[in-house]
Amino acid sequence: MNILSKLIKRLTACATALLLLSTTNARADDTVKVGILHSLSGTMAISETSLRDVLLFTFDEINANGGVLGKMIEPVEADGASDWPTFAEKAEQLLAVDKTAAVFGCWTSVSRKFVLPVFEKYKGLLFYPVQYEGEEESPNIFYTAEAVGQQAIPAVDYLLEEGYTKFYLIGTDYVYPQTTNIVLFEYLLSKGIPVENIGGGIRYEGDVAVSAGNYTPFGHTDFQQIVAEIKDFAASGDACVVNTINGDANVPFFKEIAASGITSEDCPIVSFSLSEDEFRSLPTKDLVGHLGCWTYFMSIDSDANDAFKANFQEWLATKAPAAVQKEGRVTCSPMVLSYDGVYLWKAAVEKAGTFDPEAVIKALESGISFDGPGGTVTTQKNHHLTKSVYIGETLEDGQFDILEVIPDVYGEPWLKGTFK
Amino acid sequence: MLGLWGGSHKPTLQIEKNHKPLYALRTKPATSLIVLFQKIVTRFCCRSLCLFSLILLSATLAAQETRNAREVLADLILAPPDGQAVWVEALGNYGDPVISEVYAAWRAGGIYAFESDGNTRVLMQVNGDEWVAVRTGEAVQLSEAAIAKLSKIRPSRKLRKSMKDLIDTLGLKAPDPATRIDSAIKMGRSQKSEFIEPLRKRLEAEPEEQVQAALREALAISLLANGDDAEVLLAVTDLEEMQSIPAKDFIEKVLATETAGKGATTELAVACQSALKSIESHMKTLEFYGSFFRGFSTGSVLLIVSFGLAITFGLMGVINMAHGEFVAIGGYVTFMVQRAFIDVWGMGSTAFEWYFIVALPLSFLVAALLGLLLEKSVIRFLYRRPLESLLCTWGISMVMQQAFRLIFGAANVQVNNPGWLMGNLNFGGFNMSFTRLFVLLLALVVVFLTWLLLRKTNLGLHIRAVMQNRDMASGLGIPVARVNSMTFALGCGLAALGGAALSQIGNVGPLMGQAYIVDSFMVVVIGSVGNLLGAGLSAMGIGLVDQLLQPSLGPVMGKITVFLVIILFLQWRPGGIFPTRSRSLED
Repeated sequence: MNILSKLIKRLTACATALLLLSTTNARADDTVKVGILHSLSGTMAISETSLRDVLLFTFDEINANGGVLGKMIEPVEADGASDWPTFAEKAEQLLAVDKTAAVFGCWTSVSRKFVLPVFEKYKGLLFYPVQYEGEEESPNIFYTAEAVGQQAIPAVDYLLEEGYTKFYLIGTDYVYPQTTNIVLFEYLLSKGIPVENIGGGIRYEGDVAVSAGNYTPFGHTDFQQIVAEIKDFAASGDACVVNTINGDANVPFFKEIAASGITSEDCPIVSFSLSEDEFRSLPTKDLVGHLGCWTYFMSIDSDANDAFKANFQEWLATKAPAAVQKEGRVTCSPMVLSYDGVYLWKAAVEKAGTFDPEAVIKALESGISFDGPGGTVTTQKNHHLTKSVYIGETLEDGQFDILEVIPDVYGEPWLKGTFK
Repeated sequence: MLGLWGGSHKPTLQIEKNHKPLYALRTKPATSLIVLFQKIVTRFCCRSLCLFSLILLSATLAAQETRNAREVLADLILAPPDGQAVWVEALGNYGDPVISEVYAAWRAGGIYAFESDGNTRVLMQVNGDEWVAVRTGEAVQLSEAAIAKLSKIRPSRKLRKSMKDLIDTLGLKAPDPATRIDSAIKMGRSQKSEFIEPLRKRLEAEPEEQVQAALREALAISLLANGDDAEVLLAVTDLEEMQSIPAKDFIEKVLATETAGKGATTELAVACQSALKSIESHMKTLEFYGSFFRGFSTGSVLLIVSFGLAITFGLMGVINMAHGEFVAIGGYVTFMVQRAFIDVWGMGSTAFEWYFIVALPLSFLVAALLGLLLEKSVIRFLYRRPLESLLCTWGISMVMQQAFRLIFGAANVQVNNPGWLMGNLNFGGFNMSFTRLFVLLLALVVVFLTWLLLRKTNLGLHIRAVMQNRDMASGLGIPVARVNSMTFALGCGLAALGGAALSQIGNVGPLMGQAYIVDSFMVVVIGSVGNLLGAGLSAMGIGLVDQLLQPSLGPVMGKITVFLVIILFLQWRPGGIFPTRSRSLED
């Protein structure tokens, strides 16, 4: 008796499994797989999880409006775990095993460098959404990110216009700050700023400057010496600081700045790695009046942005999976550039009439526009975007007050050595 | 919504609902049709509004004679960005200190618009929950519903720049000498000729010697650009005598124009060169002494985070990898005490200022209790098995990190400094922030108290006896198990005390402890395991070497060099500064 009932149970289980399998097979016909490749654990998780969330939101939004070419988007999540070789492995899995039509992901430049050969090998398509140092143009990557010319250069232009003549460069010691600062160094020289007015130290190899600015290790905690240097540097006025410090090392830096009595009127600090999302865990009181420069601010006053913010909050409240943090969420530039990327991909797929990455890349190269929350973005032949740049100052509630808008800035990755 | 962007190189308005701050946006000519349309609408709105405000202004300015500074301020705050310049100019006629007071509040986000019966009143927030009408200076009682309706007004960057001169001139008469010094230097630095008169006048009236010096310095810097040849020469020699650092760039400029015009051998050029040399050597000396000071500060941070470990690892011999997480507990307790104070008394209240004083002993107690629990449940089984204790405490550290994430979230939490810890002490040209001075002081107090405990109390005697030889101590009737748990609890409590202090200068987050664990072990090993004085000396030594190397090598190479020096030091003296000759540690 017992054995019989067990057998029946097993048989029904098998039958259900088969049934399930056949339905998923049927479903696979009207879905398209798209990859999400972000660190959902490890040190970078704190920033990258927000991008995973906004991507899931965007897919849900598109699916609710009929999907892409009549197919529903089926997200495949891969956890890069803040470990660069893992990123490469997961990218290979997304392309070779899951056969995803496109992948949205990566935050740090080093993770992008690791997955780049994988995407070129499998002729895949990656959308990269976070401000970066340029000097790269892969045929299989689209950089919705801010290039140096869309963030650092406009910010420095603004400071020059405001009458600042001394620039102190400081950053975390890795590829993004190093490359950005050397480009800025060349740019400042081309604008007639004398070398002695560029602070932080310049390292020469022969006659060529190879590194400009002062660098700290990741997670540096002791900024006394640097702040004392900045104070001396700013003693005779008209000085500002260009800050490419990454992550939570910004907390001790700004606490030291606040304690030393340097105010944003004396010596403004423009930061390139601090957006609304980072402000959630920073003492914004110490940052008030300092500057930021991105291609999107949450405080942009436009219908597209209002709708985006409202829909995202509604999604968080109703449809978001349990793993997504619901309270106190803000929107920021990398999130919006992820969102823009998905819609650009959708438009390109529709234009090409197929999901085949090669055809989609061709369509993207031909120039596709999307009216996103940060204004209109247009793809370029060099795989970057033309978009508007915003300069804002930090308020005590972690938002930006927009000071200047520079519309339609061309995305140019190759800037090193171009300013003479 | 009226305001949209547009306008070519002209400031335009953006008007939000309910009188939020109005701010100017500058954009380059836009191309798309929609933007063009927006532009036309905005321009129309902008023009009519400007015209309207101009009419309003001319009418009100006529009656200005009879108005006081408060009324002008209220009008300035409510004016649209284009109309503010007139009011700023009007304010220049008043010397009322209320201007600085209101402006300071405005800058810090303490000015609100309050609408009632179609009138907009400007209110200033004082002491957290009291309200004062800016126009009349009267105190205003507000219901909670009314407070909810207030909208904050912020000064735009443009306005803040145009207010700078005015605030600096006013600052010359401020009651606080530090503000007077600050204003004087800023006025001198601007090198505006119109500031020379007020600076001279103030110099005659100024009673304080330090402020007099700052005024003379400011005058000299200003004269570098505005004086005739003789005055410039005099100014340069004066500045050389004062060893003025702010003047360095300006003297360089004078020297450059002089060399380009008349050559490098004129009297002025020679004076400039000697002044520059003297200022630069002064800066070098300052930097050297400053580095010493910062070295002690870095050392005190190292000492305060590693002192707990000097007890758990140093004295007891438990390789406590979870030490960093006990440091983090200190940070989190401080955060929770802060939140409790904000919930009960509010952020700006006087009670809030005391939260840190409450947080210090509380973080010690909480961590000591947890340490006690840990000792009773895990550590006491591992006293003779160092390798197992290493693995086990490492596991515990991961459990604790994940617990922090679950309770407080993966992101760092914000800990605000109480008012009395903000700002810095300036003596003889170098700065030391109050937070760092506090850490230095706390480190000294902790070391002193621990010394008292270990040397002058009965418990201390027991601790030393047990740590030297557990079996012998037990044989003499000392309750070994109890002394062990008390000592471990003490070490954990001290770690948390360090964490509480660190919350004032750095991050509080789940990975906070990881940033300090290596440094802590380094300090204890260099200072000789088991020697508290050694821990103190090695912390100060590492701090000093680090800060003295940094100016020439930079933070990255500096840190690498420090590690190299430590490796070499341990090759030379494997036992640390004070190698122990006791047999008890060899088992």
